[in-house]
Amino acid sequence: MTEPWATPYVELHCHSAFSLCDGASMPEELLARAAALGMTALALTDHNALYGAVPFVQAAQSYGIQPLLGAELSMADGSHLTLLVQDAAGWRNLCTLISSAQAAAPKGQAALEWEILARHTEGLVCLTGCRRGPLAAALQRWDRTSAYRAASWLRDHFGVGQTWVELQHHLHPGDDLLVQDLIALAQHLGLGYVVTNNVHYARRDQQPLHDLLTAIRTRTPLESAGLRLRANSEYYLKQGGRLLPLFRAHPQALTASLKIAERCTFQLQYGLHDLPAFPLPPGCTTESYLRQLCARALPLRYPGAAERVRQQLAHELRVITRAGMGNYMLIVWDMVQFARAQGIRCQGRGSAANSLVAFLLGISPIDPLAHDLVFERFLSDERPALPDIDLDIAADRRDELIQYVVQRYGPQHAALACTFSTFQQRSALRDVAAALDLPLDQLLATEGSRPSATQTLAHQLIDQLTSLPRHVGQHSGGMVLTRAPLAQRLPTEPAAMASRTVVQWDKQALETVGLVKIDLLGLRMLAALSEAEQLLATPATSVELDQLTFDDPLVYELIARADTIGVFQVESRAQAQILPRFQPRCFADLIVAISLIRPGPIQGEMVHPYLRRRMGIEPVSYLHPTLEPALRETLGVILFQEQVLKVARDVAGFTPGAGEQLRRALGSGRGAAALDPFRLAFLAGALARGIAEPLATVIFEKLRAFGGYSFPKSHAAAFAVIVYQSAWLKQYHPAAFLTALLNNQPMGFWPPAVLVRDARRRGVIVQPLDIQISAARCTLAQGAVRLGLNYVSRLGAEGVQRIMAARAAQPFTDLRDCCRRTRLPRSMIEQLILAGAFDAWGIERRALLWQFGTLEYTADTMDLVAEDDGSAPPPLAEWEAADLQARLLGVTTGDHPLARWRAILDARGVQSSRSLLDCPDGMRVTLIGTVVVHQAPPTAKGVRFITLEDEFGLSNVIVQPWLAGRLTATYGTFEVLGIVQRASGVTNIVATKITVLGSGAKAGP
Amino acid sequence: MTRCWPAGLPVAVEQDTLAAPQTVAWAGRRHRVATILERWRIDEGWWRRRVWREVFVLLTTSGLLLELVHDLRGNSWYLQRLYD
Repeated sequence: MTEPWATPYVELHCHSAFSLCDGASMPEELLARAAALGMTALALTDHNALYGAVPFVQAAQSYGIQPLLGAELSMADGSHLTLLVQDAAGWRNLCTLISSAQAAAPKGQAALEWEILARHTEGLVCLTGCRRGPLAAALQRWDRTSAYRAASWLRDHFGVGQTWVELQHHLHPGDDLLVQDLIALAQHLGLGYVVTNNVHYARRDQQPLHDLLTAIRTRTPLESAGLRLRANSEYYLKQGGRLLPLFRAHPQALTASLKIAERCTFQLQYGLHDLPAFPLPPGCTTESYLRQLCARALPLRYPGAAERVRQQLAHELRVITRAGMGNYMLIVWDMVQFARAQGIRCQGRGSAANSLVAFLLGISPIDPLAHDLVFERFLSDERPALPDIDLDIAADRRDELIQYVVQRYGPQHAALACTFSTFQQRSALRDVAAALDLPLDQLLATEGSRPSATQTLAHQLIDQLTSLPRHVGQHSGGMVLTRAPLAQRLPTEPAAMASRTVVQWDKQALETVGLVKIDLLGLRMLAALSEAEQLLATPATSVELDQLTFDDPLVYELIARADTIGVFQVESRAQAQILPRFQPRCFADLIVAISLIRPGPIQGEMVHPYLRRRMGIEPVSYLHPTLEPALRETLGVILFQEQVLKVARDVAGFTPGAGEQLRRALGSGRGAAALDPFRLAFLAGALARGIAEPLATVIFEKLRAFGGYSFPKSHAAAFAVIVYQSAWLKQYHPAAFLTALLNNQPMGFWPPAVLVRDARRRGVIVQPLDIQISAARCTLAQGAVRLGLNYVSRLGAEGVQRIMAARAAQPFTDLRDCCRRTRLPRSMIEQLILAGAFDAWGIERRALLWQFGTLEYTADTMDLVAEDDGSAPPPLAEWEAADLQARLLGVTTGDHPLARWRAILDARGVQSSRSLLDCPDGMRVTLIGTVVVHQAPPTAKGVRFITLEDEFGLSNVIVQPWLAGRLTATYGTFEVLGIVQRASGVTNIVATKITVLGSGAKAGP
Repeated sequence: MTRCWPAGLPVAVEQDTLAAPQTVAWAGRRHRVATILERWRIDEGWWRRRVWREVFVLLTTSGLLLELVHDLRGNSWYLQRLYD
């Protein structure tokens, strides 16, 4: 042989990191290495999974390598087989086999029954497996009969040409002999034989990483892992020349790999749009049923519908039918119908809000005609790709909808997308420490000293480990629906949650191949709105948020004075800064308001120009007249995602498709180089339209600064509905609103403590926890909010249930009665006492605690009262009691702690959040408050924003970078010296000195 | 009698391009390798001190049966065992 390294060979048995803790390289890395080695094809054969198939196929294209899909299957008897997909039938069979192996066994221990394999061999190439393959395993224990029997079984079921004896040589003792025996067996049965290297990492130097993964998978320190680790580092991706010396007598066993690769012609299909057929009423077509449903809704939504509405409807129905989208819309309509019937709030998000049909079907909450939303942004004849319809659902009841969909279409047709949780720096550190059997702190470099060899090694390993997939889990709400059984399209496996199934591809992979995914996203505010509605549904009152028209001036006044704590989307500090200047007065203003505070408009410096133009300080102008159509509605600045597409179209003649690519490139943050082709195309297109390069460059720079992170207008419109509804509740039913917010935490911008004090300032009565009255959740009674047991941390469902059950039998007579009947742990009772749950009995908390100390109770024995020595601890001061309540519950129902100091503070000339409003612009002031929010947004270049609270409300402090560096705490009580800055109704203090009077924890749980 | 060098006795070895031994210098003579009877590699213990070596059990044309160790990190050869 002239050039031994050039021996033709491709790798047919290769594990990626998607073999979850049994592979050290990502598919892309393996392909890059294969390309460098000159391989023309590469197989991906992860354990019982096709997790990596889509990124593998995608990356293979870019390297010009033929991707072979396959898997190493674990059989029920513990043996392993390598299967490769030859054609479409083989793909379906492999998906079925993997799904079956996964379904039958606990997570991570897939096992396939031989008789199931027997029925699904068509279109698959079977390699007889590694040392744990049925042939090699038998031969290693000198059991030639079993080896012969297993080989004949495979030959009989897969066929002679489809069954290949797999030869592996990793320079272990006995490998020579094993290879000889396998070849003899193959020749005896007339089977071909082929070399594979059972690859577990791309390069030899990744062996430590693979050993580490093994240690993590088996939860064994490396030192005691012994035979669980492979004895050497020969499991890397090798070219033919490296393998040739090991198979010197059988070079044809190397070239056979190419022959097999040639046979595997299967190509993963893209653009699969395969939804179940919606079950139609008899005599209906998809089109006629859709038309019928819309016609039925029309008089309700548009009484005396104008011709314009009818025309639009007819137009939309035509486009939807042509695009074959009707079935999809009926499926989503059906989900929404179910949710409504069950009282589960839900609404479509994203581009569906542009569609009148979606509005009439109740999918979208927003009238697209009234808000100038353009249907073509949802669907048009020019756009080949069908849009996704995503639903926001009351977070607490999303599971019911998921369950419904699974039942409606059958578990064979509906499953959730999976997600891969990856190794993170922090968890990797722990894993590495455990594998090396070293205490965590030994791995952490001590400041100033040079890292030890072990530390250096550990950090290299952590870096390599980080971002490798670790576990597979269920995506929060992405559902895949298929008409053909899922198992024929892609493999599935049971999710951790009982009776749930996930597909083996994540969101991104599903999008790449075009399988329709419907995102069912949990939104806590929707759950809160539902709960508020229920709280208000009494015989006397009832509220239907969906019937609200968006025109109540009091609601807009509330928003315009930024009295928005708790209100969806417009409650943040940043929003509070713009709302008084913006003065929203109509629904369209709300759409703009929530679109302003997004990274795109902020980084693109659109916010202030917009506000100045809105306030009439600055005239509306356009860089070029061609920009006017796209930007007129937003006063000449870019606010909405789709405006990027419009500007690209009007200025440079970009097609919608090209505009979309540009928008994605802008948002990817991959730097100037990645944008260069777009820049050149943009400048050329602009020049062709008579816009000179300097101006075109300025416009392009505006787009670049804007980036991709912004709302599409339709999405903002759907969200604006929730903004209005939550603001309306705050305006008219603040107590119910607060109760609902408290019961749906965590959500929103402010911690519960701030929500409670804000509500109290508007007159809402918030009553403390009471062991005799408080329910599991916060409740509303006679207009007052009562804190619920859900605010006692660590009490848990079990603790709550015990209290409720004992109390239902009869009210507690005293502490002893409560302890005896609930049998709660002592620490829990102590916590309840300190949190004030027993205050209603009129016994001071510390005294009660003293009593409790002398009280003996256990689960099964009678309690004994120890002798009381008569001494009692000093009672808690009022502020101490409030402080305890705040610390234990995360909320207080009393006054803000600063209230009791106000007289002294007033005497010292310290301002409050209220008196601050009377201080003129530019005045030097001193202010004391507790920090409720401390922000250092990356867009603010080192400037920090601190929100201080006192008994009157909130005030904003701006901390310049020079001062921010000197802060010794982020949370606590701060004394701030600064200068009042007031503009258009917004008051800020620019700090010149900050003294931390007491540092504390972030408020709220 | 079999002779054993647990720590290995450094020897001069000529190897081919694929790192297989061809001659071994021993007792003032060069012995040509006739057959490699068995070879295996180990690569382990990287977390304390990596041991990466290949072991050859071979027969020379002069009739010696040797166990030869190739330290792959330092590319050095050791005689481990000489069978009688």
